[in-house]
Amino acid sequence: MRGFLEFLGDQAHLVWRTLRSGLALRSGQLAVVGGQTKLQIRFTGLDAGVLVMGTALLLGAVTLIQAFSQLSGLGAENYIGTLMVLIILRELGPLLTAVLVIGRSATAIAAELGAMQLNGEVDALAVHGVDPYRYLLLPRWLGVLVSVFALVVFFDAAALGGGFLVARLKYGVTWGFFMESVRQALSNRDFAATLLKVVFISGAITFHACHFGLRVQRSQTEIPQAVTRTVVSALVAVFVIDGLIAALLYF
Amino acid sequence: MIQARGVTCEAPDGRCLLERMDLQVPEGGNLLVTGPSGSGKSRLLRVLAGTERPRSGALRIAGIAVWPGDGALPLAGRVRLGFAFAAGGLLSNLSLEDNVALPLRFLGLGKPEVARRTADALARLDLEAVAGLRPHAVSGAARKHTNLARVLALEPQLVLLDDPLDGLDTVDRAVALELIRAWAGNSGRTLVVAAEDAQAFPWLASNSIQLALAATSPEPR
Repeated sequence: MRGFLEFLGDQAHLVWRTLRSGLALRSGQLAVVGGQTKLQIRFTGLDAGVLVMGTALLLGAVTLIQAFSQLSGLGAENYIGTLMVLIILRELGPLLTAVLVIGRSATAIAAELGAMQLNGEVDALAVHGVDPYRYLLLPRWLGVLVSVFALVVFFDAAALGGGFLVARLKYGVTWGFFMESVRQALSNRDFAATLLKVVFISGAITFHACHFGLRVQRSQTEIPQAVTRTVVSALVAVFVIDGLIAALLYF
Repeated sequence: MIQARGVTCEAPDGRCLLERMDLQVPEGGNLLVTGPSGSGKSRLLRVLAGTERPRSGALRIAGIAVWPGDGALPLAGRVRLGFAFAAGGLLSNLSLEDNVALPLRFLGLGKPEVARRTADALARLDLEAVAGLRPHAVSGAARKHTNLARVLALEPQLVLLDDPLDGLDTVDRAVALELIRAWAGNSGRTLVVAAEDAQAFPWLASNSIQLALAATSPEPR
């Protein structure tokens, strides 16, 4: 219990210091921090785009195939929109995107920061007036935030595309009918839930990775341990956040 | 510039390396820390740089509390500090040139000023030919020189050098020594050098505070 509270305290400390360093950002430092943020967006967002959209396309198609196989004859095509919104847009979109980002980026951030810590790079930054919170943590947070938001949007779009393909090929559903069905099932609350999930999930992913990466102190063997802890801990955090937001908005 | 009171440092195995050390180095003064390998020279420098917390004691740099406190972070933007590490310390995903330029960019200097200072520092340390390469692609001597070039370009008020001549051949050593000698003679700059052998810095021995650390052996458990 004490360890868990210490972990929470450390997470809050990281968030607070990073926020504070972001608010104190000087105009001359914008280019450096912006450059690092762009790199993070390229790695976390752009490079993962095909993987995320491919996964979403298949998931959308499989969801409709399975749903129709169970509900055929009951007028299942009338529930297409509700199914897609309930299963994909509300839950699986943010959740699976987070899982993919943890697998690709959180692991990389933890390993990179761990190696930097061992090599004395983090100390060198601090000594030479380069605030590590501003140079290392802030760009990663912003980069992951922008990337997760973009990936969730593309995930949802690709999943809807996959679902539409199945609906079109198997039941001859038109694009207009499909989109109208989705639109009717969507509410402003779904948009708010997705935005909240993106903000909290991207923060949890980044700060879990930074916490475990920066704790590496003595040997190379700590790096894989930090990566494993990051994955397990970030996954738990993401599921907890998802559950809390669902309970808050839909319960 | 440096005010340390009752600083106690321990090795990772629990050995006491420094016990209740009091130290005052005035602005523009020099400090030469000598001692055999494992005596705690590097650890003392990291404590002075604000990257390693001492077991106990207080440290102020230019009147700013470093320990107890947030280490080097409060010094950013208030005291310019340069540290040439004995090993590592360069960002592995940046070229040597970018390693030298990064602290200058963070200071908010204009692009022409950053380019001028970086080019001058690289030229002074004979690094122009390898400036575009990353640390892993150059020799250990070039990495050591890049550490010095970063310090030189930053024009710091406090310079900390950890074994700056270790692993350098005669030519590289001469280049580094010339630079360190210039720093030692600058009355506006405080210099701290940690080295196993004080003989390499005869001119520093005569105008510096000297701190000789004794070898300690692991305690039987």
